[in-house]
Amino acid sequence: MSELSYQSPLAGLAEPHGLSVSIREIAGRGMIDLRGLGTDAAFMAAARGVLGVDLPTKPRTSASWGDIRVLWLSVDQWLILGTRARAHELLASLREALTGIHALAVDVSDMRAIIRLEGEGCREVLMKGAALDLLDKEYMPGCCRRMRYAEIAALLDVVEDNVFDIYVFRSYAHHAWNFLCATARAPAKLKLFGAQEVPG
Amino acid sequence: MSKPYRLSAGGRLIDRAKKVSFTFDGGTVSGFAGDTVASAVMASGQRVFGRSFKYHRPRGLVGLGSEEMNALVGVGLGARHEPNLRATQVEIFNGLAAVSQNRWPSLTWDVGAINNRLSRFFPGGFYYKTFMWPRSFWKHVYEPFIRRAAGLGKAPEGRDPDAYEQVHVHCDVLVIGGGVAGLAAAEAAAANGARVILADENPRLGGLADISGGQVDGQALPDWAAATGARLHAAANVHVLNRATAVGHWHHNFVMLFERVADHDPALLSSGVPRHRLWKVRARQVILATGSIERPVAFANNDRPGVMLASAARGLVERYGVAPGSNGVVFTNDDDAYQTAIVLKHSGVGVRVVDSRGRAEGALPNKAREMGIPVDAGSVISAVSTGWGGLGITGVKIATYRKGQGRVIRETGAEADFVAMSGGWNPALHLWCHNGGKIRFDEKLQAFRPGEHHDKVTAVGAANGHFALHQILEEAYRAGSRLAGSGNVHPVPTAVQAEERPLEPIWFAPATGKYNEGNKHFIDFQNDVTAADLELAQREGYESVEHTKRYTTFGMATDQGKTSNINGLGVIAEASGKTIPEVGITTFRPPYTPFSFGSIAGVLTRDLFLPIRRTAVHQWHVDHGAVWEPVGQWRRAYTYPRDGETNHQSIDREILAVRNKVGLLDASTLGKIEIKGPDAAEFLDRMYTNMFSTLKTGKCRYGLMMNELGFLTDDGVTVRLGDDHFLMHTTSGGADRISAWLEEWLQTEWTHYRVFVTNVTENWSQFAIAGPMAREVLRKLEPSFDISNAALPHMSFVEGRLGPYPVRVYRISFSGELSYEVATPANHGLGLWKEIVAAGGEFGLEPYGTEALHVLRAEKGYIVVGDETDGTTTPIDVGLDGLVSKKKADFLGKRSLDQEYLKAPNRKQLVGLLTEDPDDVLPDGAYAVRHVKDKPPMEMIGHVTSSYRSPTLGRSIAMALIENGRARMGETISFPLPGGKVVRARIADTVFYDKEGAKLNV
Amino acid sequence: MLVVKCPVCGAEGDETDFHAGGQAHVRRPATCDPAHVTDAEQRDYLFIRINPRGLHFERWRCDRGCGKWFHAARDTVTMEFKAFYGITELPPMDVIAQAKGQWAEYFAKRLGAERSRETGA
Repeated sequence: MSELSYQSPLAGLAEPHGLSVSIREIAGRGMIDLRGLGTDAAFMAAARGVLGVDLPTKPRTSASWGDIRVLWLSVDQWLILGTRARAHELLASLREALTGIHALAVDVSDMRAIIRLEGEGCREVLMKGAALDLLDKEYMPGCCRRMRYAEIAALLDVVEDNVFDIYVFRSYAHHAWNFLCATARAPAKLKLFGAQEVPG
Repeated sequence: MSKPYRLSAGGRLIDRAKKVSFTFDGGTVSGFAGDTVASAVMASGQRVFGRSFKYHRPRGLVGLGSEEMNALVGVGLGARHEPNLRATQVEIFNGLAAVSQNRWPSLTWDVGAINNRLSRFFPGGFYYKTFMWPRSFWKHVYEPFIRRAAGLGKAPEGRDPDAYEQVHVHCDVLVIGGGVAGLAAAEAAAANGARVILADENPRLGGLADISGGQVDGQALPDWAAATGARLHAAANVHVLNRATAVGHWHHNFVMLFERVADHDPALLSSGVPRHRLWKVRARQVILATGSIERPVAFANNDRPGVMLASAARGLVERYGVAPGSNGVVFTNDDDAYQTAIVLKHSGVGVRVVDSRGRAEGALPNKAREMGIPVDAGSVISAVSTGWGGLGITGVKIATYRKGQGRVIRETGAEADFVAMSGGWNPALHLWCHNGGKIRFDEKLQAFRPGEHHDKVTAVGAANGHFALHQILEEAYRAGSRLAGSGNVHPVPTAVQAEERPLEPIWFAPATGKYNEGNKHFIDFQNDVTAADLELAQREGYESVEHTKRYTTFGMATDQGKTSNINGLGVIAEASGKTIPEVGITTFRPPYTPFSFGSIAGVLTRDLFLPIRRTAVHQWHVDHGAVWEPVGQWRRAYTYPRDGETNHQSIDREILAVRNKVGLLDASTLGKIEIKGPDAAEFLDRMYTNMFSTLKTGKCRYGLMMNELGFLTDDGVTVRLGDDHFLMHTTSGGADRISAWLEEWLQTEWTHYRVFVTNVTENWSQFAIAGPMAREVLRKLEPSFDISNAALPHMSFVEGRLGPYPVRVYRISFSGELSYEVATPANHGLGLWKEIVAAGGEFGLEPYGTEALHVLRAEKGYIVVGDETDGTTTPIDVGLDGLVSKKKADFLGKRSLDQEYLKAPNRKQLVGLLTEDPDDVLPDGAYAVRHVKDKPPMEMIGHVTSSYRSPTLGRSIAMALIENGRARMGETISFPLPGGKVVRARIADTVFYDKEGAKLNV
Repeated sequence: MLVVKCPVCGAEGDETDFHAGGQAHVRRPATCDPAHVTDAEQRDYLFIRINPRGLHFERWRCDRGCGKWFHAARDTVTMEFKAFYGITELPPMDVIAQAKGQWAEYFAKRLGAERSRETGA
């Protein structure tokens, strides 16, 4: 048999043109869904021991340590990101460290597609598909949250001020991509608040 | 009769240097940049804009803005045509094509106008009275007639070429309406640091500031409005939306704004901007500065072209430099309309005032008199005379009036080619009421004003019944300051404006003769409801105003009663001897003005219409000619027809490949849920009807799930991965539902269970390799594990590798053949699929789709939850009693199975069916009846749940839920089909193929 | 459209981000004593619900957020949420005090039972 073949969810799509922001797939990331009780000291300590960073307990925040990024999903659920190879190592270490502790760590590296939006006006583009108050100061780097976006379930990770990662389940990747291409068209660019021209 | 009415000077909004020409009903009309279709057509001398809905009476312009109810036009050609736009709001541009509506064949000569002559036979409730019988006439006689005669405008033709979109936005304060009150409120809120959205439906801010007179801080009102508007446009914390109508207001301050982004500018539209944008605003505070709408007066034939609102006549002159006529009458019951008379006089238009009040005194009437305008106080217009066909008025009749007077005896004539009427002003309460706001009647205004509201909504200015400039400013600045949070009251500028004396209500101006003797006092112009119709409804016993509304259709047209509401209530009050508050009010419903379907759909059209889920192998299916079957939002391959094959031939080929050789199915859509924790086994015992705590690690078990009613909701195979660790499979449609269901019970009922649940459906691609040669195919894929029957028997599981691919392999079967379900992480899915296809070639492997899957399982009598069950089916009904544990004390649905009605003897039970003629394939859902009769009704005893032609057996097979079915084994029952054919079928076992299961354990 | 706030994670959003789960505080009789659930008890559990005009108590799930179930007290006339509270909790006392009719009876009984359990213990 030939080599192990790998296709990211949006592999092979043509680069979009005529958009007001850049969108691209972030492929090849490894992901672990970790469940455990934030109130269980042994669990939290075991996780910290493996990851080198405390699992964030403040709702809708993320934490980073070296090449690892941890997104808060719920009071008992986190998404741990790294390279695919790193994720495999981490999963093995986590399972070992969590032996005897009530927890569930699952490799979900292939479960989601990640689309990165970059550029001025990202927030306004996202506001065409999400009901969140994305102009609020809550949505600054370090914030992440699940949301309903483009009629589907999605996860928002504010990476930098004008850099957003949208996670959607793999099967919806094309829908999310097409929705972004439709709402980010350059002529539909929207600027909210701030100085406007007075109509003549 | 038509002559140009463009005045030589004036017109604040038009640019006389820029000529614009467009067409109206095919004829070229020219106007200036800044004109609307209404103003330009009026300037050209044309008066008639359309025909009325019921009587096809010629109708002209009445209003100034969105309240316009008569001058509705269709704009644009072909796919871009949009019907029912108010001509007063359509901005003209070169090449615009507008058409009038509801006339045939032409505006001036209309066949339907016969309805007007026959109006004696079209009273209120006409449709209810006339079209009740005979019933059979509805479909072929009445409905086509009504549809042809009625209807406003026509639908566009072809696919909409434009883009639309929606956007969600939050703000601290949403100010609706950019008139004086809105500007002031927005300025105060913005100065207090709030995030403010100011939305106005017009192309520019200012509302009626330009026709109201008065000064603010020494500036003329329009100049103050322009300056304030400019400051708001420039502010960092304010977003101003022009051409944006608030169409609806819902709970918790959810407001939809319909923005006409590019309708006014073809160049903008062709640059690709969205034509319309729907804003979904969530506001902490809503300030309604929606102003007020002038109301007409009900006098005889008040709908004739040339009769318009006083504010509209004033607006035509001030904004567009268009005279409403050469010589007219202002008919009023208030002071405000005197401003119209003054403006007309200034412009050289002949004018006189008819004032229904006994005394017309005060600043404005006195000024009018000083200017030489004749004023008839204590008088009304009792009739208008018109030219041929009622296309325009030639004169009015004036009569003296006392309140309560029923009929006019003496009247004098006066020449006039237009009437500017004013019956007072109604606060625009629509948005207040959309969200359940209460309103109260104000005796002084003779109008409803905002009362209580449970949401954070505040009405200011005219919308709150305050009309004096200083009052409006004071209220709006205070509200804007207070609601912005910090509460620093913004200084209120000083205002100067002529004082106005109160109006006296007049709901009905008497005429000679009785109602409907050539006299129609229109209340609701758009739905052609007259005062006589409302009075008739009272006499016929429709006492409740809500009943009157539906009986007469009063207030139910697209204008939602903007101009008619109070007038109608006034007529009903007088007819019933009640006061208006006693009559009550009807509710205004969204939308405030109609808005486009395009904006409602936004970008969710074409390939975005519905989210489509794709498996990792989707593109391979496309490349291999798959026909699709939608399963929830998933697209699954139904079958893969090859050159020249019908779907049937292709499905048969796929089935026989599985039965005789080997097949490959993309089963990735199956739900997969990991369940782990010390209490996981006990938890599964609660969730499933059968026992899972006894399952050995590495083994699989088929489980049934019921809801608490005892009805089947899902099924699937669960694997024990470890002592405290399970992997549950659900149906394709059930993954999200069942994982939420498990979470619900863990969180809300058995909160002490230590169990975690993670839905991993999307992480895995999963393929079924099924058929006698399945093991050979698997062997070729270089498994890292023993695949012999001894090492990996039916219903067991192994984790390892196939060549380089990490896999989980479940030996489970939904076809009755030797079968392996192979799961690999989804990003490897396509690669592994191709490897399997390649490896299977020498064994005759065929990919098969969902239809083959269904036939294969039906041949084996395996149920599909949702086919064999319908939400009221128990495990016992489908013959799976054996999977309902007798040992477990409690599991979901157990107690309900014990209820009498689920143990009743005559419940429908699942059976197999063999038709007498093996070539007859019963339709899905066909009814079995106790006795066949010539025609329905026949007593139904059950229905077909699944039915196929089985290529394996060379005949049709079916399953059905039949009353007491299992006791009827061998009996023949009848299925009468539409068209008269009766199919007879023998009740048989549900398993049609390999009853012993010999093929599974090889 | 309502604005809902999850008391578990604090997320606030449109009701479309949440899942409405019907009436709160419905007891499942079989959980306590599966062998002795009368038909009437099972009927009440499955089908009988309070449907007040005014203050009501409901279950919601933070569907597009933390995934947790919680309780809400909502006025069915004004749509105002009076409180959000945990899925295993009773409403705040000041909200219980506003309950009327069947809800008032329910809470009186429930609080009475808890008091007697405490004094018994």
